[in-house]
Amino acid sequence: MFKRLLWHLLSGNRVRLTVALLALTSGGAVVSALLNLEVDINRRLAQEFRSLGANLVISAPSATGSSAASSGLIDASVMQTVKQVESFGVIASPYLYLVARAGRTPARDVVVAGAWLDRVTQLSPWWKISGNSSFSRTDLTHCLIGRNVSRNLQVISGGTLTVRYGGHTANLGVTGIIDAGGPEDNQVFANLAVVQTLAADRGKVQLIQLSVPGSPDDIRAVQAKLQSAIPNLSVKPVPQVTEAEGTLLHRIRFLIVSTGLLILVLTTLCILATMAALAMERRKDVGLMKALGGSMQKVLRIFLAEVGIMAFTGGILGYALGMVLSIWMGHRVFGTRIAPRWEVLPATVILMLLVAFAGALPLRLLGNIRPAAILRGE
Amino acid sequence: MFIRLLKESFIRNPRRKLLTCIALVLGMAVATSTFTVAVDVSDQLAREFRSFGANLMVTPQGDTLPVEIGGVDYRPITEGAYLSVSELPKLKSIFWRHNILGFTPFLDVPVSMAASASQAAANGFPAVLIGTWYKHSLALEDGTNFYTGAFSTSPWWKVRGQWFAEDSSQCVIGTSLAEKYGINVGDELDVSAQGAGAGKTLTVSGIVSTGESQDEAVLCSLSVAQELSGKTGQFRTLFVSALTKPEDAFSRRDPNTMTPTEFDRWYCTPYISSISHQIQEVFPGTQVQPIRRIADTEGRVLSHVGLLLWIVTIAALIAAGLAVAATSATTAMERRSEVGLMKALGATNFLVGGLFLSEQLFLAVVGGGVGFALGAGLARELGETVFGVSTSPRLLVLPIILAAAALIVVIGSWIPLYRAAHVSPAPILRGE
Repeated sequence: MFKRLLWHLLSGNRVRLTVALLALTSGGAVVSALLNLEVDINRRLAQEFRSLGANLVISAPSATGSSAASSGLIDASVMQTVKQVESFGVIASPYLYLVARAGRTPARDVVVAGAWLDRVTQLSPWWKISGNSSFSRTDLTHCLIGRNVSRNLQVISGGTLTVRYGGHTANLGVTGIIDAGGPEDNQVFANLAVVQTLAADRGKVQLIQLSVPGSPDDIRAVQAKLQSAIPNLSVKPVPQVTEAEGTLLHRIRFLIVSTGLLILVLTTLCILATMAALAMERRKDVGLMKALGGSMQKVLRIFLAEVGIMAFTGGILGYALGMVLSIWMGHRVFGTRIAPRWEVLPATVILMLLVAFAGALPLRLLGNIRPAAILRGE
Repeated sequence: MFIRLLKESFIRNPRRKLLTCIALVLGMAVATSTFTVAVDVSDQLAREFRSFGANLMVTPQGDTLPVEIGGVDYRPITEGAYLSVSELPKLKSIFWRHNILGFTPFLDVPVSMAASASQAAANGFPAVLIGTWYKHSLALEDGTNFYTGAFSTSPWWKVRGQWFAEDSSQCVIGTSLAEKYGINVGDELDVSAQGAGAGKTLTVSGIVSTGESQDEAVLCSLSVAQELSGKTGQFRTLFVSALTKPEDAFSRRDPNTMTPTEFDRWYCTPYISSISHQIQEVFPGTQVQPIRRIADTEGRVLSHVGLLLWIVTIAALIAAGLAVAATSATTAMERRSEVGLMKALGATNFLVGGLFLSEQLFLAVVGGGVGFALGAGLARELGETVFGVSTSPRLLVLPIILAAAALIVVIGSWIPLYRAAHVSPAPILRGE
């Protein structure tokens, strides 16, 4: 009986139901697309910010009161500990800087940076390298030079650069020129082992730079993990990168969440209007049902079931549309595939149910109907 | 007669009109606010990006190779080329002068220091003294003053204590250096430039932490560093923070290959390349280059977020339009019996359609107008919470919103009205 009545109601009022369903579906589509993106967006945006390079630095703590003799070098064995966090997608490289003499007569002072060449290029994605750009960590005979170094010392790609420091000399083949638009334009990059040999100080590095993917919280988590593993060194975020990144991410998220909320309010309102109209139109049906002995509860249950079915359908349709929308947005904006998330489906359906039941409040008006008046045709 | 009918309709049944009107107000408010925010948001985000610091670097042309690690130049003062401070006000005279948010000159001087208050540092130690501006008042050519310095080009620099006062013999010391030699706020440092004349005594007014090599240096007012090094009125590098538009295919072209019209378009767009070009024009003998680490990231994130917000805005507009159209369709559907009666009394389809349309259009204008006001307020609130800057309402949006509202109600009520107009009056009057 209940089912038959429900079926009758649903099939008898197609235009009106289509209108309500349309509103629910469009609202559901936008909301579920935003929900789907919301989960991913922080990660995606944080990924974009990785082109700023390192966001964590490990260095020696400034030793209070000690002499300058230690000069803040750290043991290269720390890299073993750092390797443990590489599973989080962390890119890390040790750095050792020297001011060496380079070039033909007259030789000039130049900053030589020793690092892992395969990682340095990943840590500095803004570099444009002309020439060969695939490197091995064990290559001891080659280097990359900044474009100002190339101009000032008149060394081009394919040439040889002689670097002297202390009593040591290294002849390095130049495999590429770095165009960095920054201080690296003035530096020479070679593998760590080469620079350590020049410094006659094997096993020491100056600092370790890390690029941690993810939100500022993820960065703090990796920082805490590393700090507890190496308590005698200082692990610090790069303030230039992390501070500004945090505020920007927060703001972009807030914008997207508030837009989603506005759309939910709007959908509720539309359902409210449809339901108010529906309640008015159903006055006769309700009057008749009541006259035939149906309790108000039973009558309301039928109408609420109708609303529920609409919300459910709208939620599922909206989810399907929303996923298409968010995949398209992800592709268009970030150039990557954004996977549909199943947990968004129940969230969308629940939201649509809430919205529809809030919109169904006018149905309470039906409680005031007196059957006699209706049957008299008033 | 027509007007009286219209008036009657509004007085007799205000509830139905109210529903459409509320839906319109809210829908249009959503549309206005998302639209206003989307228009302003790129500007605001670009401004926000300036908290990453400078995005342009100006160095002398024909300079020797800087010996620079982590932002500190270790070259002796006798080497390399310099730029003149007296040229700096020209920066605020270029075409995009309002997009130049700040600039800071730097003069790095290798010095030896001694601090009598600290045992470890009593005998002197080598360090780098960085002469710069923190918040410097620069007199411009048009007679106004422009405040600029590290506070705008390196906003993440944090000081414990006070920044040095301009042109005073105060300094701030990098946190690593301070810890290493046990130097505190209030201590005095004897500073003398390596290979140059008389020394000077500086008072430490604060301890600075920057996360870079400045943590191992001492920062002081530019004029103090100039005096110590004997390079009066000169500096080595200038960092500029400029508001720019994200790069696109057009801006990446070589300006030399552009036609005059294209060149004008390029020149009058705040691309980082055109701003560099304009700085170079007023600063001959310099090399101006974008700091690509910052500029590239900014360009990419800005264009991606801008696109994302536009898509969200359009999706919100479509959802708002559908919701409003649905509501106006619902209210129009209720009017079937009224249409039947009017037709039975001899009204033509044209008259009935006209009556209903003008009713809906009236609602659209009222609802759209109120919605615009509400949306502008909402956008203002949103701008203030998100960016701390209130977005000004754009009157240009009002006609667009009104037109959209009119279009939406007409579309929404078209089908129900069309069906009502083609129905024969008899069954409706019988109550079927």
